[in-house]
Amino acid sequence: MMDRNSKLHLWGSAGIGGALLLLGGAIAHAQGTARTVWDGVYTADQADRGKAAYGEQCAACHGPTLAGIDVAPPLSGNAFLNNWNNTSAGDLFDRIHSTMPLNNPGSLGAKTVSDIEAYMFQANGFPAGKTALPPSQPMMAGIKILATKPAG
Amino acid sequence: MKGFSRRGLLASTASTFVLSGLTGGGRAIAAAAIPANTTPHPDTEWRHYAADQANTRYSPLDQINGTNFNDLEIAWSFKTDALGARKEYQFEATPLLIKGRLFTTAGSRRDCIALDAATGELLWMHRLDEGQRALNSPRQLSGHGVSYWTDGTKERILYVTIGYQLVSLDAATGLPDPEFGTNGVVDLKRDFDQDIDPVTADVGLHSTPLVVKDVAVIGAAHTAGDVPEIRQNVKGYVRGFDIRTGRRKWIFHTIPLKGEFGYDSWVAGDAEKAGNTGCWAQMSADEELGLVYIPVELPTGDETGVFRRGDALFGESLVAVDIETGVRKWHYQMVHHGLWDRDIPCAPILCDIPYKGRIVKALAQPTKQAYLYVLDRTNGKPLWPIVERKVEAGDVPGEWYAPTQPVPTKPPAYDVQGVSIDDLIDFTPELRAQAVEFVKNYKIGPLFTPPVMSKPGRWGTISAPGVQGGTNWPGGSYDPETHIVYVYSKTQPSVVGIVANSDTSVSEFPFVHGIDGMRPRKMPRMGAESGGVDFRPPPPPPPRPGQKAGTFPGFLTVQGLPLLKPPYGRITAIDLTKGDIAWQVAHGETPDNVRNHPALKGLKIPRTGRPGNLGPLTTKTLVICGEAGFYTNEYGVRGAMLRAYDKATGEEKGAVYMAAPQSGSPMTYMLRGKQYIVVAIGGGNYSAELVAYRLPGRA
Repeated sequence: MMDRNSKLHLWGSAGIGGALLLLGGAIAHAQGTARTVWDGVYTADQADRGKAAYGEQCAACHGPTLAGIDVAPPLSGNAFLNNWNNTSAGDLFDRIHSTMPLNNPGSLGAKTVSDIEAYMFQANGFPAGKTALPPSQPMMAGIKILATKPAG
Repeated sequence: MKGFSRRGLLASTASTFVLSGLTGGGRAIAAAAIPANTTPHPDTEWRHYAADQANTRYSPLDQINGTNFNDLEIAWSFKTDALGARKEYQFEATPLLIKGRLFTTAGSRRDCIALDAATGELLWMHRLDEGQRALNSPRQLSGHGVSYWTDGTKERILYVTIGYQLVSLDAATGLPDPEFGTNGVVDLKRDFDQDIDPVTADVGLHSTPLVVKDVAVIGAAHTAGDVPEIRQNVKGYVRGFDIRTGRRKWIFHTIPLKGEFGYDSWVAGDAEKAGNTGCWAQMSADEELGLVYIPVELPTGDETGVFRRGDALFGESLVAVDIETGVRKWHYQMVHHGLWDRDIPCAPILCDIPYKGRIVKALAQPTKQAYLYVLDRTNGKPLWPIVERKVEAGDVPGEWYAPTQPVPTKPPAYDVQGVSIDDLIDFTPELRAQAVEFVKNYKIGPLFTPPVMSKPGRWGTISAPGVQGGTNWPGGSYDPETHIVYVYSKTQPSVVGIVANSDTSVSEFPFVHGIDGMRPRKMPRMGAESGGVDFRPPPPPPPRPGQKAGTFPGFLTVQGLPLLKPPYGRITAIDLTKGDIAWQVAHGETPDNVRNHPALKGLKIPRTGRPGNLGPLTTKTLVICGEAGFYTNEYGVRGAMLRAYDKATGEEKGAVYMAAPQSGSPMTYMLRGKQYIVVAIGGGNYSAELVAYRLPGRA
């Protein structure tokens, strides 16, 4: 086990290889304590912005209450939760960002997509927190969507 | 390829890639690439969306059966990511199989493709880049597939583009038929008995053309009408086109003109101003009787009928018209002045059934409301009595309420209808008690309980089946040997509340579908200008007794579990020789959030099924249907199962893994001694794919 001084030494002099080693450790640590949508991964303000954007951009097909219509799947409730269970917030971001809205995909911009995703999380009963969902797919790839709140 | 360049192809509006058998002049002989069958098993075909014009989705094949279903392997798969400018996740097509070639639409641009049915190899692709016209369409993505026509020599593949154009292609080459329309294309927004903008008009279609004799019958679909932006939307007339020339042969006014049959069923003046009333479902046809059967949706306003007062024919009616002239022979209205969005969503199944000692030319219509309506298809008369029953009126000012609704006496409903305390979740007494408290905030009652004005403490009517059914667009399946209909349905209720609207920039309707306290949001038509984007946050939703912060009225769950008891998805076998249910099974493994729910720990819960839109396939011995939605299996892998049931008993005979849920209904064929099952899958984070299964061994 390294002591604090050796770590500093590594940072200071071991160069890129050593830094990568440490970074690898940090990633492993992050994965070990991966966050889920039950950990407060968006803010209430963000969800409010997302709700307004949803009304403009999404409600025409997915319905004003996210319940879906004949040609568009629900974005709330059991069917939605189970469809996305064990994927990540990043997966959902990617799907919305690359395909929605259908008549102008790619037009929303990452910030609006993350706001809309925050609103969907709120509508599905996931709690708000102090940190907003980042406007970036890789940054939220570590946030797991779990349909059921984990025990403890 | 001669003269081929990617730039050249992209620059043109229409392109066909021909990938095999190219000969001089760019013509292809794709069919020649398919080897002859030298086995004792004759090849079979699948010439219509649901097998035949009767929409049976039936094949008598039995190489794949209950003893070997679990041995199925993936013969090939075809990912559609490269078709269109982006991936698609909602691949609803069922391909056709003719002479060893599969034909379907696919991809986010709805390209038309031909595949080698033994290998999945791409033979040709036709692409029409319609620009803004397609982006404005109310029906995006790949659609339900294509149709086939032949006179014995010529072979044509027909499909409707996203931008609502009818295309006719040479089946061998994928090249447009120069004798059809203008260079193989008919603009469906013209010659429509109404003047509409070709780029922005709110009309499109997912369904395949119905090909019958030498006519292609085309329906119409529009933006959903929960919060209709305008009153006078496009009218969804149905037309028949000459399949050789593309010339319009006839038009049927689904909203009758003054002087036409049905006009008097509207309160004066409403018919002229109403729109929608399209046929977005598949249709059926009986060449012998010379009739096309057209399932019609509601006029504008899915849950509010203030601008379509009266029974308003042909809303939510099945209409039989003459194949050659479009003249109405009979109609049957299944819901009078509907307020529940119960558009007839799928084709009626044509069936010749024994009834009181004779064979009746009948039809069986699956519906969102989970009744199978059985009518004599020669005259539209019910086989078993359908009686008019008094129904409750709601409290929406200015609404017109039908005093009665038609209720079939047989067969019985095949899914939950209406909501009573008995229908509520009952895994534990605690959950039931919470559900009982929960529904005190809503109006509940039998089928046809009207939508009501939404207010705190009574947010709306819980409608079961919900606005998406019951059964939806895939429709059912039918075994002509045993006269049994197999139909999938989901138990997924909706809240139908009505709110006042005074903002005509949101909707011209004074009342719209919504929840009190949630300002009605503009539900723009796809073709509308989106100007004036309003990003002001709406007011927070009102608090609800017993409701956790962060969740809203209209969200029908108790502790995150579905409000109603399972099954959430089921397949029902309905014996038309008796008008009774033969068997019913929950279809689909129990959803993850139910299996893992802490409140259900230690309880043994039978398989619940999962909700979605599914079409089953019937073969000699099996009913075959993939699951809706994902679940996580015992290996921790997400996916869905393709399941097979003994069609006589409903006993499960096998299941094979699919990487994603069934998104388009399966079909089957025999090719060079091997039976294949082909199904479109996709959804969630898994993009669209066509997957072919067959038994192991030499192909």
